[in-house]
Amino acid sequence: MRSLAAACLAALAACGAPAERVAAGPSAPLPEHGVTVEDTAPKEDLRLVPPEVYMRTYLRLFGGLAPLDAQKRARGADGAGLFDAWDDYVSALGFPDYRLDVPRLTQTNALMAATFERLGVALCDRALEHDLKAPKGAELPPLSERLVFAFELPHGAMDQAAFASRFDVLHRTFLGYPASLAPPERTARFFQLYRDIVAGHTKADPRSRFTPDEAGWASVCYGLVRHPEFHLY
Amino acid sequence: MRPGSRRGSRTTLAVVLVAAIAPLALDARSAAPPSSQRTLEDYRHFRITAIDLLGRMPTREEIAAFERSDFDMDRWMDAQLGGPAYVERLTRIFMDALRLEPNVDFRSAPSELYRHDVLGPDGKAVAVYYREGQRRERPETDGEFCLSPEETGVVIRAHQPDQGTPKKVSEKGLDQATVLVKPWWLYRDFRTKNPSQRYGEGWKDPDPQYKPVESLLTEPDGKPVVAVRICREEAGLRDTGHVYASGRVVAPAKDAKLPGGRLRPPPLDKPYATQHQGQELACDTKMALDTAPDCGCGVGLERCMPGDSNQGGNAFYYPNHMPLGPGMPLDDARQQVQRWFPYWWSREAVRFIDDLFASDRDFREILTGKQTFVNGPLAQFYRTIQRTNCCGPEATFGMLEEKEPLFDPAAVPADLEPQDVSTWKLVDNRGPHAAGILTMPMFLEKYASARARGAALYNDFLCKSFVAESQHLAPSVEPNLMVRPGCKTCHATLEPLAAYFSRVEPASFVFLPQASFPVRSTTCKLDKNGRLNGACNALYDPAFADPRGATLRGAYGSPAHADETPVGAGQDITRMPEFAACAVQRVASSFLGRPTTPDDDALLASLTDAFVRSGFHMKTLVRGIVRSDAYRRSNNLSSTTWRAGTR
Repeated sequence: MRSLAAACLAALAACGAPAERVAAGPSAPLPEHGVTVEDTAPKEDLRLVPPEVYMRTYLRLFGGLAPLDAQKRARGADGAGLFDAWDDYVSALGFPDYRLDVPRLTQTNALMAATFERLGVALCDRALEHDLKAPKGAELPPLSERLVFAFELPHGAMDQAAFASRFDVLHRTFLGYPASLAPPERTARFFQLYRDIVAGHTKADPRSRFTPDEAGWASVCYGLVRHPEFHLY
Repeated sequence: MRPGSRRGSRTTLAVVLVAAIAPLALDARSAAPPSSQRTLEDYRHFRITAIDLLGRMPTREEIAAFERSDFDMDRWMDAQLGGPAYVERLTRIFMDALRLEPNVDFRSAPSELYRHDVLGPDGKAVAVYYREGQRRERPETDGEFCLSPEETGVVIRAHQPDQGTPKKVSEKGLDQATVLVKPWWLYRDFRTKNPSQRYGEGWKDPDPQYKPVESLLTEPDGKPVVAVRICREEAGLRDTGHVYASGRVVAPAKDAKLPGGRLRPPPLDKPYATQHQGQELACDTKMALDTAPDCGCGVGLERCMPGDSNQGGNAFYYPNHMPLGPGMPLDDARQQVQRWFPYWWSREAVRFIDDLFASDRDFREILTGKQTFVNGPLAQFYRTIQRTNCCGPEATFGMLEEKEPLFDPAAVPADLEPQDVSTWKLVDNRGPHAAGILTMPMFLEKYASARARGAALYNDFLCKSFVAESQHLAPSVEPNLMVRPGCKTCHATLEPLAAYFSRVEPASFVFLPQASFPVRSTTCKLDKNGRLNGACNALYDPAFADPRGATLRGAYGSPAHADETPVGAGQDITRMPEFAACAVQRVASSFLGRPTTPDDDALLASLTDAFVRSGFHMKTLVRGIVRSDAYRRSNNLSSTTWRAGTR
């Protein structure tokens, strides 16, 4: 009760106070604390690779196939459900729909990211099957005809140097520059990913289509095909 | 081969590429080749340029070529200008703005064939094609299906469910009402007296992209269709027919027995038919369907489109999605016949824009060019089908058929048949009213009203938007939106732009010539009840009419612009300084991957100056952009940020 009375008194006092006035300017010059040059450089946002470019690149990585042929190869006949149909991915990839006046998407969203992942996994798995897994009795294609994995797997254990040279091939394929110009930790991190997958795969249920080495390289491929630098420019 | 010839330089390039590929085949025993002295920024620049000019990310081989010390980036960029990816890149910029793909069906009663099964004499289904509203001399079937309900047991109407129980049609009845025809969609040589080159048999090497649906090719029993059965009137071959008057001018009593068991009375004679009975008229017009029983679909039914059902139905396979162009479709779907021509209208617009960039034409031609490209379906369309869109109310003004079409049928290449879907031919001059994309069916149907067309010009080619002022909208009867408070902010600009299109009918492409349709008509005027009547009301605006005359719809904003037509719009807009600046801004913004800002003013001014001085050639503009520092810096992340933030 006492505090309520105090609040009422304060309110009454405020009513009687003169109206607050905002000064037209500072009463004294503002002290200078430092000078910075105005940054007039144009500021760029992250920009997505246009879906047309993504798709042409994707088809090129698939061996220069036409979309319907790439779709057929990506789906395969193994029942893996790696790929549905391009028609299912068109809007998720951010293509505009001129018929319905839907503009092209310039930013990613969850559905687009999931589509990139789905398409990326299909590409890496099928490319690995083509490049590194010859059917029984057949030879692997020559390096010049390999789609993504244009290198030989070592006969023994993979050390970091052996990994780095091969990783550079994939790095150039997907990101467009040598791994040596990438942040210094990148190769080591991908090597760690490779080793983790190989180790995990060794213990895993042996029903997988891939050997531990193949699974390791597939995971490196997944990492690069989903890398932000692949999708941005 | 002469030294320095084009072929020679290609061979040299191939050798260079092969040499560049070789070191890439990385073997486990060899480490990666020593990297060149290129910086990360150099690689990024190469990558964004490849994305913009090659339409994809660079391959390992191209990166290896780039790393060579003798790689000349400027030469490489120049080599890409004009290539298919460059063309696609630029077309994409303007297609994103214009969105010239069909969201419309094209329906024109004189060209639409429906198909309905009747029970033949042996009790088997017989498919019969017919047109809705076809005039016939038999009152039992005039304006309806060519066999009466008493003959078939069923009332047959397009888009309607059947009424009644089917019964066998007699052999005589079937023969009297229908004939067998070898139509254009089945026979390559449909113009000959005895066509023999049938799709699937005898027709050697049909266009692989020409794919009729199976239901047009096979009979219900699975046998190939050799000839189609069609109502006798629809099979008419004549180019010109005659106005018919039945003598019926009074509607029958409500309870009167109608002939042939029909449910609605046969059509009455319109005053025009009564007054002009026997007058000759062209058969590929709306008037002919309404008034001439001796007009049909012409030789091989070329003036008509087949549907495989009583709802119109499907006709051909073609893609729904092809974002990488028609050569790389993502699907191949059965499509409704009403979408066939809109699909090709869109391809025509893209071809036209592609050619501006591939041939590095003066970019102003996008709004002024007389040329275009047509393939077989478009040749069929411009030769005859477009004419079926006219004429209705126009006939009152003496226009029974299009007098000055936007695309002169005489300009259509004579050697293109409707099935030549992959063969495209340049038409140098569509006719005097042609104005770039502005007079193409795709633009005119996408932007169906005069105001929509004017607004598209304003937005897409002057880079300006209509922004309404903040104002209380008071009730007003002022018809002139250029002065009405709250409306005038936008409409003072929009109405004069729209007026350029007042001679092209809304949602259509029928051109209204000045001689028959003056901006100010003294024939059309308000009657004593203050109304414009009949055909006048359809084409002239009652809001701008008085007892002395009326103004053509859409022309009040600028009668001068109305008479200048879309041709004047193209000329006037491309003369404005904003036109070049807008084109430069669009292209620069697209290549920089961001909206331009005041910081870019100097660059844009310099690019615009060079673009205009070059004669509006896009290669000059793009060359200037990709060589600019701003473009080189347009990586979305600087290398420092990149190193710091992206692992």
